[in-house]
Amino acid sequence: MQIYLPIAEMPVSVLTILAMGVAIGFLSGMFGVGGGFLMTPLLIFLGIPPAVAVGTQTTQVVASSVTGALAHFTRKSIDFKMGAVLLAGGVAGSISGIFLFKALSRMGQIDLVISLVYVVFLSVIGAMMMVESVRAIRAARGGTVPARRGGHHNWIHGLPFKMRFRRSKLYISVIPPILVGYFVGTLSAIMGVGGGFIMIPAMIYLLRMPTNVVIGTSFFQIVFVTALTGVMHAYTNFAVDIVLGFLLVIGGVVGAQYGVRAAERLPAEQLRALLAAILLLISLRLGYELVTTPTDLYSVVDVVPHR
Amino acid sequence: MIALPAYRVALALAFVVLTAGLARADQLVTDLSEHQIAIRSNFTGTQVLLFGAVEARTPGARAINRDIVVVVQGPNAPAMVRRKERVAGIWINHDSVTYPDVPGYYAVASTRPLEVTTTSDILNALRIGIESIDPGVAEARAIDGTEQMLLPEQETAFWKALIRNRQRDRLYVSVPGGVTFLGQTLFRARIDIPANVPVGLYTAKVYLFQDGDVIDTISSPLYIDKRGIERLIYRMAHSDPLLYGLLAVLGAAFAGWLASAVMRRP
Repeated sequence: MQIYLPIAEMPVSVLTILAMGVAIGFLSGMFGVGGGFLMTPLLIFLGIPPAVAVGTQTTQVVASSVTGALAHFTRKSIDFKMGAVLLAGGVAGSISGIFLFKALSRMGQIDLVISLVYVVFLSVIGAMMMVESVRAIRAARGGTVPARRGGHHNWIHGLPFKMRFRRSKLYISVIPPILVGYFVGTLSAIMGVGGGFIMIPAMIYLLRMPTNVVIGTSFFQIVFVTALTGVMHAYTNFAVDIVLGFLLVIGGVVGAQYGVRAAERLPAEQLRALLAAILLLISLRLGYELVTTPTDLYSVVDVVPHR
Repeated sequence: MIALPAYRVALALAFVVLTAGLARADQLVTDLSEHQIAIRSNFTGTQVLLFGAVEARTPGARAINRDIVVVVQGPNAPAMVRRKERVAGIWINHDSVTYPDVPGYYAVASTRPLEVTTTSDILNALRIGIESIDPGVAEARAIDGTEQMLLPEQETAFWKALIRNRQRDRLYVSVPGGVTFLGQTLFRARIDIPANVPVGLYTAKVYLFQDGDVIDTISSPLYIDKRGIERLIYRMAHSDPLLYGLLAVLGAAFAGWLASAVMRRP
């Protein structure tokens, strides 16, 4: 069954979109990630204009992060104060990301930048995850415990504007969380992602937050930053397709349920190696398209007046 | 392919047959199977049938050396063509050329190939054929947005690329032999409208050629627009983008809340 997307202005197969939503929802439930960084490239492969893919994907991220944040709220595993500081940075980042997005699309370079950013982040994070999970799998087989990082002070403790975060048992400067939030907010606007895959490692390794509040706090921040990003994409770029978003949300919600259940039965390290492999494959595919000679060097775009 | 409702075809034929007998001079009578095309959620492209008749000057005279050319043209809009160049191993959009007046859709069908129908001068003057489209004064820009001069052959490469792209998307089509005569006077043409057509006012122009000269033309409008929920969503997204964005995001948040409410149940 085909459905015509009013904003993307093209017909798509309903079953394909639903199946993609379920598959990505499954993975996101399994790995506890938003799934935006998997869905946006898939939508682009499907022929959805990159701007619409990014803008629409934010609605799916809002839906899945609301579900995640609510679950962590009932478990009381959200550091609201840290979340608010990250959010302050995230709002600023999202706004500058939207402006960057608009400027780049006017210059005709937005598709390239989206692809490049994806290739860089997916390959770096995929490679890091792969190395780490392979090491952990080996360690588990050999019976040795992987070396833990020491809790010694780092350069972050020398920064001013310190604030006490009781829930995270931290007394640190607000500058690093604001910068992390800003960076992730910018990426969120350009990539159509929540940015948990950047924020969670940053919270653990850079801010040294306790792991039990990291995911909940990240979800809390992502809800508001992607909500803002989504509204602004709709407002400045007319790039949110409600029909497509609806299909993605439905598929994602259903898939996530099964993903969560599957994750309980599968070993965590193997799962992470699998996710790493998926990330590397997508980045290879995107990277390949950037370097191979296109079949037609010329492309045509409608000149739409931008506001 | 969507089958046209039989009654529409019958109506169009009846109209053509009835009106054809009334004409005195050598002239065209035509009608479209549809004057409005609605893009709804199930739209995957459609077909428009054009029916017509040629009434001969002297009753009973045979239609000889007559050609019919049908041109269906969509709304004009500016279009930009970009050329990729390899920079540091990566293909990036480099130079661009913007044309101010490019038809979003252009279909030409004829009884015989255009080049044997008439001269290229006449084709150009009447803007018949994809090669005769006049896109206006081109504006070339370099990658940094500064205006630049292009040699005519360079600019032609951009224009040819635009045509090639639109032909690939089936937005520009040329069907020599796409107009068929049914007997002496009746003719018909089938025009394919793909799913990716721009919305707006289209015109279907029919030219009657005799010995290479135009002896009659007739033009009828064709309106393509989004309808129903598609129209509602599109209009709201463009006229009320803030409200639209808020609704989209709140709807998504509600779906997320619903999912967690359902999940919490045992």
